[in-house]
Amino acid sequence: MKVVLKNIGKKYEGREEFTLKDINLEVEDQEFCVILGPSGCGKTTMLRMIAGLNSITEGDLLFNDKRMNKVAPKDRDIAMVFQSYALYPHMTVYENMAFSLTMRKERKSLIDERVQEAAKVLQMEENLYVKPSDISGGQRQRVALGRAMVRNPKVFLMDEPLSNLDAKLREHMRVELIRLHKQLGTTTIYVTHDQTEAMTMASKIVLMDDGIIQQVGKPDDLYMRPKNLFVAAFIGSPSMNIIKGKIEQGRFVSDNRLMQITPTETHKEGLKAYEGKAVSAGIRPERFESGGEYGDTFNVNVEVVEMLGKEKILYGKLDDGHELIISTPGHYKYEGGERYSFGYELEAIHYFDQETGERIN
Amino acid sequence: MDRPNNGHRKTFLEKMGEKFPFFQRKNKSKLYLSDRQPLTLQGKIGLVIAHLVLIIWSVIIIWPLYQMVVSAFNGLQDGYLVLNRNFEFSLKHFEYLFNETLYLAWVRNTIFISVSTALLTLLFVSFTGYAYSRYRFKGRKASLMAILLIQTIPVFAGITAFFTMHSILSSVLPYFTRQMMLILIYSGGAIAANTFILKGYIDSISTELDDAAKIDGCSNMQIYRLIIMPVAKPMLMIIGLWSFIGPFMDFLMPRVLLTSPRSYTLAAGLFTLVNDFRTMNQPAFAAGGLLTAIPIVLLFVSLQGQLVSGLSKGSVKG
Repeated sequence: MKVVLKNIGKKYEGREEFTLKDINLEVEDQEFCVILGPSGCGKTTMLRMIAGLNSITEGDLLFNDKRMNKVAPKDRDIAMVFQSYALYPHMTVYENMAFSLTMRKERKSLIDERVQEAAKVLQMEENLYVKPSDISGGQRQRVALGRAMVRNPKVFLMDEPLSNLDAKLREHMRVELIRLHKQLGTTTIYVTHDQTEAMTMASKIVLMDDGIIQQVGKPDDLYMRPKNLFVAAFIGSPSMNIIKGKIEQGRFVSDNRLMQITPTETHKEGLKAYEGKAVSAGIRPERFESGGEYGDTFNVNVEVVEMLGKEKILYGKLDDGHELIISTPGHYKYEGGERYSFGYELEAIHYFDQETGERIN
Repeated sequence: MDRPNNGHRKTFLEKMGEKFPFFQRKNKSKLYLSDRQPLTLQGKIGLVIAHLVLIIWSVIIIWPLYQMVVSAFNGLQDGYLVLNRNFEFSLKHFEYLFNETLYLAWVRNTIFISVSTALLTLLFVSFTGYAYSRYRFKGRKASLMAILLIQTIPVFAGITAFFTMHSILSSVLPYFTRQMMLILIYSGGAIAANTFILKGYIDSISTELDDAAKIDGCSNMQIYRLIIMPVAKPMLMIIGLWSFIGPFMDFLMPRVLLTSPRSYTLAAGLFTLVNDFRTMNQPAFAAGGLLTAIPIVLLFVSLQGQLVSGLSKGSVKG
């Protein structure tokens, strides 16, 4: 089912300002859409509005072109998985999964069939008759998924479902969730603040901040072509180096004049209009050239080296104290307390207008 | 010749220990296994004092109870209780209680009042607790505060009002007895006090449970009935139990409100056995007190499991 948000706004009772304003979003059928953002950016509010748990102050919510603003949650053909799982503690796993169908007064045989089917997919057949308190966190997570699955919903809504699991299990469940999504062929809208989850699972990421959608796109787009400074800084770990400077005679010169970059021909086009204006250059840590000798280079004093195996992360400072993070392949030799020279991968540099934060090239 | 002695003869305790492991001394070795610091002299003195205080305290509580039980079964006692060593087992005080007094009527009255109070309280408290916890409405905070403040006034202060209310109500509803008035007074107090407790308990139940139920197709009433009430059951049990016990314990209100001995509750009724020399029978009073404890103890024992379970169960991440 296609989910469309048109100029959606939300203002909570007793609040002065709108939490969300002018949200426009289209989630295609069978898409895995991840809403990503720092806490307090309104992403959960948005999800709860789609679910019908929060009212919509203004704008239209359309499911397959049908307006859903005033439809009760149970009639929206959705299922939701909560951060705390929200299993009913007084019911067994089976009753938990069967509850929504029981409320719909479905036939007993059909309910049993659906529950057994979901249990099989989630490998929970042996734990069907125990209470949620008797099973592990990962299993509870599965029950929560199963409860959503038995209804055969058209839209799956998930509110940070993995944040309560430990790292190993989270990795495992990520893959499971994608598999499940493909198997069920539903539309999934998934809220998280974890960019790894977003990057690995999404077919579309919606990055939000401060009640506004900052960028919508494939994980690749957000990483390779961030639309503004917020997206650039938020996506990627370790995060992008942002260097403030200005354009002088077609070249980027940092404020401390320690870094000078000659843009590529294609970048020059866009930068023409910014001659003499304040511009920020963004460089991903892995886009520096080790041991730069030709072209534009700069020197950095490496203070700490983090050895992660396949890569080394260097935390260094320029001569004036400006901090830089550089990532190099793990087998390169770098030591803390030394001074090294680096170059740039020129085509991988992002330029942003400092005033508006918007991308230039 | 003596048998060769390997320098060790088994002590009595060790022999017993072999036969019955129960006798074996624990921590035979000198290893200090407790996680606490070893006691200093000061600590030891403190420990002795603490134990003394506790023992004296228990004696103060247990001795009268013991006397009550003994006198209730002591055939040699009559009228006034006399403390002496003579004891002869007899049930004559119980016979007196059942045959010569209105004891059974008092039991009936008390149970009627207690059960009605508990049911009424549970019904209303479950509604008010749920509403205060889950809904935001005008005057929510103010009314909660009012409930809290009004409780500082003793119930007995309203006694004249209760009389007036009763006469007004009974003129409209002829079947409205003094006992029903008592039920209203008890449950009124219990509702106010327990609304807070239940609200606090329901507050601790994640609202995501409500959301999940809403998506699963529950109306507000169904969320209350199918989700919140079962989860809050341990607390409801405790509230029910308290409001059930209340009428057993209270003496003043029934004494003042109820006029005929036939309508007395246990507390008020038993009092007639010790406050008037014409009907004085202290051993029967003791016997009555002993019997009164039985339903309450039974209720506690049977509900014990339910009271504890659930409190420790997490609906969400554990």
